Amino acid sequence: MTIDRATIAAYVDGELDDIAARRVERAAGADPEIADAIARHRALTAALAAHYGPVAEEAVPNRLLDLVAGAGRVDTSLAARREAKRARFGAMQWGAIAASLALGLTIGLRPWLPAEPVAVEGGALVAAGPLSEALDTQLASNQPADAPVRIGLSFRDRAGRYCRSFESAAVDGIGCRADGRWRLERTTPGAAATDYRQAASGSLAAAAADMMAGDALDAGAERAARDGGWRR
Amino acid sequence: MRFEDELVGLLPRLRRFARGLARDASDADDLCQAAIERALKSRDQWSHGTRLDSWMYRITRNLWIDERRAAARRGVQKPIDEAVLQVAGDGAAHVEAGALRGDVDGAMAHLPDEQREVVMLVLVEGYAYREAAEILEVPIGTVTSRLARGRETLMHLLGEAA
Repeated sequence: MTIDRATIAAYVDGELDDIAARRVERAAGADPEIADAIARHRALTAALAAHYGPVAEEAVPNRLLDLVAGAGRVDTSLAARREAKRARFGAMQWGAIAASLALGLTIGLRPWLPAEPVAVEGGALVAAGPLSEALDTQLASNQPADAPVRIGLSFRDRAGRYCRSFESAAVDGIGCRADGRWRLERTTPGAAATDYRQAASGSLAAAAADMMAGDALDAGAERAARDGGWRR
Repeated sequence: MRFEDELVGLLPRLRRFARGLARDASDADDLCQAAIERALKSRDQWSHGTRLDSWMYRITRNLWIDERRAAARRGVQKPIDEAVLQVAGDGAAHVEAGALRGDVDGAMAHLPDEQREVVMLVLVEGYAYREAAEILEVPIGTVTSRLARGRETLMHLLGEAA
């Protein structure tokens, strides 16, 4: 029995019907070369998934979300933006780095500093950088013990928005998902700023209980909400 | 679901696809931004009930190809048609097998755009051959042959263990 490479590829890609797939499996059982080819194809797919998978887990930059929300500028060509970017970096080479620091420009221009967890947008306090990413992706059910941001409760508030309580070194609080970002509805100083951690997390839990409609999400509902992008 | 909501839901995957095409992270987000702008402007052309994801991937991919052609005309990169002719192995066969072990970005950089986009759609985004063919508007046989060549090159460069 011979199985050509195209068939092996189609098998690994899930393109074969059951009968053809079983035929490949039988052939692989009898011929180590076929089994090896399948393993190599699978290893490649796994390597690509491991490499690109995390991109889809990153928080989507606000500039893209704003665009969809209608807040961004429209009708700017890709080429024009490239030009603008080149011009900006050109200017920075001329010594504007200090100036931009003094002006307190956004974190995007200061990649050598740790990203700030909080930003102000449209007059509202929102999660940014690592905090935004943790609220986007981290599950309370399987977060590492040393995670910089610890997620507490996830729940829906009375407006139907998803909200999540969190604790971190800089800030503790509750963020609610609205217009593609996490608006911080409650904030208290984090562990780095206070010794009264117990009290802080207790009052956050009370605030969460106040805000929530129904019960907090269980592990399954939390995962489903995350996979759905925290959309209502 | 509202068009905008569905679009926002797609963005994480779209960014991943763009990253594979453009490689550089900020170029990839620029590409996403251009695709979103195009989609919002021409949303009338998207018919309800058809898949928004395929439509967005096609817009993204077409913008990327346009951008590459424009860059080639400016002399920044070699013309895309030349890249098409670059059969897998032509550039990569001279590189020792496994020379780029663990360096997925480096290995992907060896693929012509036409192979890279198929690799991304099928192996990363998980589209069926038929769906990838629809997104790229090419025959299904073109998808499988480009995929086979791209795979050969990647397996060669990344080594036995991929």
